[in-house]
Order: sequence, then C-alpha cells, then structure tokens
Amino acid sequence: MSVKDGLQDFKEFWKEFSKVKQGLVGLGLLLAFAFLGIFGPLIVPFPGASKHWRDIDYWQDNPQAAPPAWTNFFSARKGVSSSTLAAITAETEALEGGASIASFVFDYPFFYDQPPRDLILRVPGSGQVPLSVTLERPDGLRAELFREQVELSEGSDNRVSVARNCAQAAVEFVRGRDAQLADGMNADLIKPVDIFFAKLGPDILGSPVTLKGDYKIEIRALIVSPGFRVGKPSILVSGHVSGILGTDASKRDIFTGVVIGIRWALVIGILTSVISVVAGVLLGIIAAYFGGVADWLLSRLYELIYLLPVLPFLIVVSAIFKPSIWTLIVLICAFFWTGSFKTVYSMTLQIKEETFVEASRALGSGKWRIVFKHIGPILLPYSFASMALSIPAIIVYEASVSLLGLGDATIVSWGQILESALTQGAVINKLWWWVIPPGLMIALMGMSFAFLGTALDKILHPKLKTR
Amino acid sequence: MYRYFLLKRVGYGILMYVVMICVFSTLFNGVADRTMRAQIDEEVAQEASRLRNLNEGQLKAAIASRRESKYRQYHLDESLPSRIFWRSVRTLGFDFGNSTIIKASNGDRAVSRIVLEALPRTIVLFSSEVVLVTILGVMLGLYAARRPNGPFDRTNSMITMITNGLPAWWLAMLAIMAFSYRFPIFPSGGIHSNPAPTHFAGFLDYLWHLSLPLMTLVFLGVWGTAYLVRNIVLSTLQEDFVTAARARGIPERKILFGHVLRSSMPAIMTLAILGLFGSIAGNIIVEGIFGWPGIGNLYFIAVQQNDVPILMATLAIETLVNMLGFVILDLAYGLLDPRIKVGGRA
Amino acid sequence: MSETTKAETAPVLCVRDLKLRYFTSKGAVRAIDGVSFDLYPGETLGLVGESGCGKTTTGLALLGMPSPPGRIVAGSIAIDGTEIVGISDRSLRRDVRWSKISMVFQGAMNSLTPVYTIRKLMAETWREHASGGQGDAAVEALMLRYLHLVGLPEKVLDRYPHELSGGMKQRVVIAMALFLEPKVVVMDEPTTALDVIVQAQILNLLKKLKRELGLSYIFITHDLATEAEIADRIMVMYAGLIVELGTGEQIFGHSEPRGSLPGSSLRELPSEPRRTSLHPYTQKLLASTPRLHKRVSELAFIPGSPPDLLAPPPGCRFAPRCSFAKAKCVAEEPPAAEIGPGHLVACWKAREDPEYERQ
Repeated sequence: MSVKDGLQDFKEFWKEFSKVKQGLVGLGLLLAFAFLGIFGPLIVPFPGASKHWRDIDYWQDNPQAAPPAWTNFFSARKGVSSSTLAAITAETEALEGGASIASFVFDYPFFYDQPPRDLILRVPGSGQVPLSVTLERPDGLRAELFREQVELSEGSDNRVSVARNCAQAAVEFVRGRDAQLADGMNADLIKPVDIFFAKLGPDILGSPVTLKGDYKIEIRALIVSPGFRVGKPSILVSGHVSGILGTDASKRDIFTGVVIGIRWALVIGILTSVISVVAGVLLGIIAAYFGGVADWLLSRLYELIYLLPVLPFLIVVSAIFKPSIWTLIVLICAFFWTGSFKTVYSMTLQIKEETFVEASRALGSGKWRIVFKHIGPILLPYSFASMALSIPAIIVYEASVSLLGLGDATIVSWGQILESALTQGAVINKLWWWVIPPGLMIALMGMSFAFLGTALDKILHPKLKTR
Repeated sequence: MYRYFLLKRVGYGILMYVVMICVFSTLFNGVADRTMRAQIDEEVAQEASRLRNLNEGQLKAAIASRRESKYRQYHLDESLPSRIFWRSVRTLGFDFGNSTIIKASNGDRAVSRIVLEALPRTIVLFSSEVVLVTILGVMLGLYAARRPNGPFDRTNSMITMITNGLPAWWLAMLAIMAFSYRFPIFPSGGIHSNPAPTHFAGFLDYLWHLSLPLMTLVFLGVWGTAYLVRNIVLSTLQEDFVTAARARGIPERKILFGHVLRSSMPAIMTLAILGLFGSIAGNIIVEGIFGWPGIGNLYFIAVQQNDVPILMATLAIETLVNMLGFVILDLAYGLLDPRIKVGGRA
Repeated sequence: MSETTKAETAPVLCVRDLKLRYFTSKGAVRAIDGVSFDLYPGETLGLVGESGCGKTTTGLALLGMPSPPGRIVAGSIAIDGTEIVGISDRSLRRDVRWSKISMVFQGAMNSLTPVYTIRKLMAETWREHASGGQGDAAVEALMLRYLHLVGLPEKVLDRYPHELSGGMKQRVVIAMALFLEPKVVVMDEPTTALDVIVQAQILNLLKKLKRELGLSYIFITHDLATEAEIADRIMVMYAGLIVELGTGEQIFGHSEPRGSLPGSSLRELPSEPRRTSLHPYTQKLLASTPRLHKRVSELAFIPGSPPDLLAPPPGCRFAPRCSFAKAKCVAEEPPAAEIGPGHLVACWKAREDPEYERQ
C-alpha cells in the first residue's frame, strides 16, 4: 500500500468520521486532553510538582485544604486569595561605619471579610542580619511583627511565617492598646494574623472583624559588614482560597495535580490498550489461522483469563508484590488482550475461508505473509476502535488499584489523588474540590475515548457478510 | 438433553476453578509459604510459653520438634511442586488457615469463619442490586426504545456514556459527602448503628444502612442495562414477526411487553448478568468505602493491614463467585431459549 | 366508491389514486404514485413487478401499516365499503386489520414470534378481535378447524415455530390469516422461499380455500409463472405505478382454462408472448423468463435500472429503458387507458396513440 493510497484511504475515512457528531466530540476532548497532557505540566502554577508531589517543603506556602479561588464569587464572606505582594519601594540607606540599612515597603490593599491565613516573608541573602518587619495598618496603628537577628544563607529558604513566628508580637500589639486584654491572651492559642488584620476592640479575640484598607509592610535589614547582603524579599499572602481547584490537606495545589494526572492517564491508557489490542489481534489471527496446538493453547489460555476476576486479582498481586506502574501496565495487558482476541479469532476464521486467501496460498505466499499482508490490514482499522473502547476500563482499573494505596508512589495519577483524599478525610470534611475534579476527569476521559471508540467502531467495523 | 448440558457445563466450571487455584498457589507460593511458617513459629512459641518445668535446652528441643512436626503436617518441608499441590488441595477444600491480624466477630482468626461471616452481607447487597438494576433497567430500556432518538432516549444515552467511565467508588465518596455529611440523611457507613437496635427497629436500621450503598450501585448500574435493553429491543422491533403481530391487530403495548420482551429475554439476561458480574469487582471498593462488612470490605482492610491469608482466601472466593456467575448464565440462557430447552428438535 | 362493473357485483376492495411517500432524510421518495384498482369477491388479483417497484409497500398500505418512514399522503382505500385512509390507528387495529383484511407475509418463517406457541399466537389474535364472550372451547374449536383446513394436525397448536418445517409454518401462517374470516387476504410472496414441490401444494391449497371460504386474494410476487398459475387478473407495477392491468389471457395469451393439475409444477408460459397490446415492460418481463424446453443462447434481460423515485422523470417512467420510446414518451406520462375489455395499459405505443405513431 503506497503512501498515496494510504492518504486516500485516510481522506475517505475522515469524511465518514466527520459525519458522526459523537466521534468529533470525543476527538475534540481528547485533543484537549493531549494538549494539556503535553504542555500542561509546563504551564501549571507549580511546575516542579511531579517531582515534589510528596515533598512537604515544596508546598509549604499554600494554605491547607483551601477551596478554589473562584468560590469567593459565591460566598458572602469573601476569603482571601493567595497572592504575592510586590515591593513598592526598595532603598538602601548608608550608615556610618560601612553599614547600611536596606528597607523595603510592600503595599497590600485588603478588602476581605476574613483575614489571611498567613503572611510568609522570604528574605534572600547571607550573613547575620538583624531584621525588623513592621505592619502599618489603615487605622494608622503600627505593629511590630518581627525584630530579630537572623542567620541568612544563600540557598536556604530564609522564611518567616507570621502565623508561626509572630504570636508574641501579636500579644505585644494588643498590650499596647488594651493591657488587660493582652494579659488574658495565650501566645500559643491565638492566631496572630487574625489579630493584626482585625479592628481593635474587645471582640478582637473572640469574633474579630477585619479592618479593611491599605496595609503597608516594611522590612528593614541592617547590613553590618560588606560580606553580608540582603536581596529583594518577597511576601506571600496565604489565603483561604487558592488556585483553580484549591489545595489538599498536604497543601498541594490540586489543579496542578490533576493536570499532571492527565499525562499519566493518557500514558497508561494508551500504552496498555495498544499493547493489549495488538497482542490480542496477533494472537487471535495466529490461533485461528494456524490452528492446531497454537489454537488449543491460546484458546485455553483465553478461557482461563476470561474467567479470572480482574480487579480482585490485581489487588492481591499488587498488595503482595507491590509492582511499579510499568509492571501494572503489563499485568493489565495480560487481561485485556482477551477482548480483541475473541473477536479477531472469529473474524479470522471467516476470512480464512475467503477465496482471496486461498488464491494467495495457491500463488505460494507463506503463512506469515498472508497473516500480515492480507488478514491483518482488514482487521487493523477495527482494532483502533477496540483500543479506544478499552481505555476507560483501563483507567478505572489503575485508579482503583491506586485508591487502595497500592499504586506506584513515584507517579501522580488521579487515583493517587483520590487515595489521599479518602485517607486524609476529604469526604468527612466535605472538601469537595479535592474529591470531585479527579473523579470527574476519570469519567470525562473515559467518556471521550468511549465516544471516539464508538464512532470508530461504527465506521471501521469490517462488514464481512456483505462482501 | 438439558441435564446433559447442565452437567457438562458445571463440570467444566469446576475444572476451570481447580486450574485457577493451582495457578494462584504457584504464583503466591513465596508469600504464602513465609506467612505460614511465621504463623507456625508463632503458634509454637505460644505453646512453648505455656510449658513449665523444662530447662532451656529441653525447651529449645521441644520447640524445634514441635515446629518440625507442624512443618511436616503442612508439607512445608517438601519440594516446591509438592508444596504447591498441597496448598491447592487445602484451598480447594476451603481450608484457608488463619489470618495474621483480622479477627472474626468472636475473636477467632480462622479465615474461613471470617469469610463466611462476611459473605452473606455481600450477597444481600449484591442481590438487591441485581434485582433493582434489572427491573429498573428493563423498564428504562423499554421506554427508551419506544421512541428511538426521542428526548428520553437521547438523555438516557448521554447519561450512559458519562457513567460508563465513572468509578463506582468515586460516586460512593460523593454520595457520602453529600448525603451523610452535607445533608445528614444516611449513615456514612457500617451495617448498623451503635448501639444496634433489635428486632424490627434493628431491621429498619439495617435497611437504612443498606440504602446509600445500594442506591449508589443501582444508580450506576441501571444505565448500562437500560442501554443494552434498548438496543436489543430496537433490533428485535425490526424483526418480521413484530410487523406480523402488528398486522394481526395486536396493540403496541402487548407487542412490546410480550412478543418483543419475551423473545429478547435470553439476549438481555445474558448481557445484563455478564455486566453485573463484571461489576462485582467494582463493588469491592464500594463496600470498603461504605464500611459495609462484606467480602469487598475484607479486601479493603486486608490490604491496609497486609493480611495475606485473608487476601488469598478472598481471591479464591471471588474467583469461585465469578465462575458461578458464568455457569449460571449459561444455564439460564439454556433455560430461557426454547430452542435449547426443548432440546433443539427442529 | 363502489362501482358496478361488468360482473355486476360490488368490489370488495377499492383503491383510488393511492399515493404513498417515504419521508427520508434525503427527501420524499414517491414509492406509490397514484395507483387505482378494484378487487372483486372471489377473485385473485396478482401484483407483479421487479424488486423495489412498490408491490410489498402496496400490500402493507392495504393494511394501513406502511413501513416507516412511509406515509399515505393521498388517495383512498375502501375495504368492503369502509374507508381506511385517515382513520385512527385504534380503529384500524380493532376493526380492519385481520378481521376485514389480513396478510400472509414474505418469509413466513420469520413472521411467527419464536417464543410463543402456535396456540398462544392464534388465541391472542382472536382475543384482540373478539366481540362477545366466546368461551375457550369455542376458540379452540375454531383454531382446530382452520388447522385442519390447511392440512395440519392438532398437535401443531402446542409447538413452537422453530419446531415446524418451512411448509408447515407457511400453512400455519395461512391458517392464522384466514381464521378470523376476513374478506381480503394479501399474500406477499407466500411460496418464494419454499421448494418447488411444497410450492405447488401451497398454491393448490390457496386455490381450494379461496373457493371454499369465498375469499379474495391479492397475490404479490415477482415470479410470473406462479402468477400465471393462480391469478385471475394481473397488475404489473413499475416504479410506483401500475403500467398494465388485465386478465391472465390478456397478459399471457393462453386460452386454456386453468385448473389444478395434481402434483404439477408451475404453469408453462406460451413460448411466444402476445405482442402489440402489451406494455413494453410486461413484454420484456415475459421475454426474460427462461423456458424449460426452449434452447436459450442468451438470457434476455432489461438493460438499465428503475428510476430514482425521489425525483422521477416527467414522462413515462419506463422510457429510459424502453426500446420503443419516442419523444412523447419522454415528455408526457401516459395515463392508464382501456385498450380491451377490462384491459388497462399505461403506454402511448400500446394505446396506438396517434401522436406517438407520428413520431
């Protein structure tokens, strides 16, 4: 078959295919998935996610179990969106004796009904540097958040979390206005950020109301020796809502996880289906065409595997042998080849009797030649439909195995995300943004392949009887 | 004629089951061996701790000899094929040994007892699912087939497509989130409340706990069956005998529910039962999520606790159930199709 | 509606200008485009033509059940005085179908529901039309009587369709078509799927029943020989229209009285067809049927294929394939005209139309 023939066939096929609306929808969805799968991990907010999925430090800046940012639109009490603040001024003031003070001011317009979860400051640099961080509130009050000498070093994080490190400062802030109240405060139990962002009043501990307005944060660093230096700091406001799909209990951005999962779902699904269908088709042709021992063996094997319950077996094998994802793929293939085997087997039996095969044999074609050049090409287009149709089930199997915690821990698949959802209480705590998206993706991808496969099946199914 | 068919089919099923158990025994030989040895050692140590009046040397000797006799009893000292053989024999005889951690309700660790306790609960869940899915599915499918490509039919097909790739356990998670926590209507799991009410109240409590898992499974399963029924009915409607019945003045309802349904029954039952037995696997995890203490839940817990004997036993049981499903299917098909039932006299 | 003809009896079936269209996604196919005929009591009216000419469609239309997406769009069908075009499906079911007009389908093998016994099938049919509380015994007696009439034993009642041979199934179907005693029975290729011996038996049976029960048949087939054997008058259909209608003599040209020759096979057609007064299509049909005793060097056939009924040509529909076609034929569609007593032909040439002759 020359390339020109192939192109012609493809053009005809495409004409038929574009008539089936379902197929086009499926194809469109799959192209979207493929695009996201390939480029997604590069454009997500956390590009290093797939390597650091189980690395706590990588995610430490995210709020924990935060709903998606857009839920703010629907709630009366708007939660804070995570954001990074930009420094509006950065100046260095030289002092006598070779020292200098670097000061940076950040601006934060704050109009939410709830205080942020945290303010995270990062100061790059090196050396022993006394740092002071001051908050200037819209009501004119200034609160000293932090005044300590810190050891900065290149390459380490140099991170200050207001929620964690500024409890005592919060007590002092209150003490400055209401000493009695301050006495009743226990530094371990209060939420510093809530206090700093709340209107002053007797309720500040119990039910604080946020003070809205323009906040300014000033970071001043004293550089005592020329060997020390302080780079541009950054302030991250950690909100209640975060990202497109929120975060999970380990502070991981779910949107990123879901996008990475696309890649794995596609890889697993396509690889498994291609291998199993090709295997099934080949074995089917061999068994039907060559007959004899090969037929007997393969048919017995087929019956055995057909009668085995797939998921229970996969679960037990995974629990005992703890396979990697690639081994799991091979295992699933071992089950799925039976589907195409049976169909191809009966089709080949029919084709075998066709005159053109006899003619080919009469001409002296070898058996393998007949298999590959004559029988194969008839069945090949149909096998594409089989491949597409088997993928939804494959994805669900992998997800099911992962859900039980038996998946490959080095990859990020939707099943894995759901596993952590299940075990870390997403269901109990109604963290719907954690539970719904991965499952929805599984269903959606399954549906797309089902659409595509059904359309392909309708068009490519060899109508042997009408020949 | 049918009796012969029945015997042949059942015999074949048994043979296949035996082969599979042998395959399992071979595959899991290493782990099963180790677990067994560890258990024996533990047993022997326990026994030994109760022995008094023996000095250290005698104690060691006693332990060693006891262990050896146990090993011999379970053929653990023999060659690999022999060990596999004996393990298969034991499994086929439903002697599954003891679990490593999981206990039955009376504290027993005999796996057979644990499995036997769990089995009826799965049967209850599964059979109610089958009944409901079949009835609802057939009804839905028939109504959809009455006006093919009409709004009802198309909605059905769309929902079928969506739920096709939807994992049952995910739906279970959503159901619990929605109807146990968000709107606390149903319990989030288990089989009865604590403390368990008795008699009629207990029965109602049981049903209440059954509801959410059952509804989840039924909701998912109905569409597939409905779609099958719809297709089969539509193709039967093209048959000549339907036109002939219409010509004879038989009203459409009688044709649909009588002629068409009755003659599609074998095909419907085949595919419906096949599909449902396929869903047994999916039910495993659903049971686990709902904490419904059946076989599936056993899987769940056994995986968490790494209880190998339980895993092996449940696998054997699941395989047996699967096998039974296929056998029943073939036998039922034979019964329903008058051509086979009457022996094919033509 | 009812016109008295030379026979001076009212026709039991009157079809006037029947039009039926199939409404497909590509457009409306004019499957029956203005068909008119009468059926007289006690006669067999044959309907003959190629596949796709509209014969089966006409048969189904007579029962008021054109296969979807077909619909009767014009014309009238009156059975025993009752108009059936336009009446509700319910009335059709209860009053017309099977009680006034019944049908023996093409491929009777498949027209019996495989999961019901013959008894159940017949009893169900009876119950749908029964007026008055006939006891089970009476119904049983009726079923037995008709089974007996078609030559089947009683135990057939308890059989499933697949347990009966082809010929037996055909007889069952005939019994079922008759046992409600309709006036008209439409037979669509009732013998085509059977072997020759059984074919002859069934044809003889049909003739006998017609006589004994006073029935009228519409006998649809593409096989001219069978038609010659059984039909009193014959309609030839082409492309949704009747192109010729006449008695067996007028069409086949044989003068011997027809009777049943025991064990005989199909009637032989005359070796030379009567020429000038027949429609060219009918002539070609007759010519392309091979004769047993005549040596044939080349099989005659009709070149070309039937027209597309989505947009039929304006003139005579057979003109593209007719060897006698002239300009008038292509331009103007010939209506059916009487060229002999009760012999209608729709052809300019057969009518010896002057304009045609001139061209």
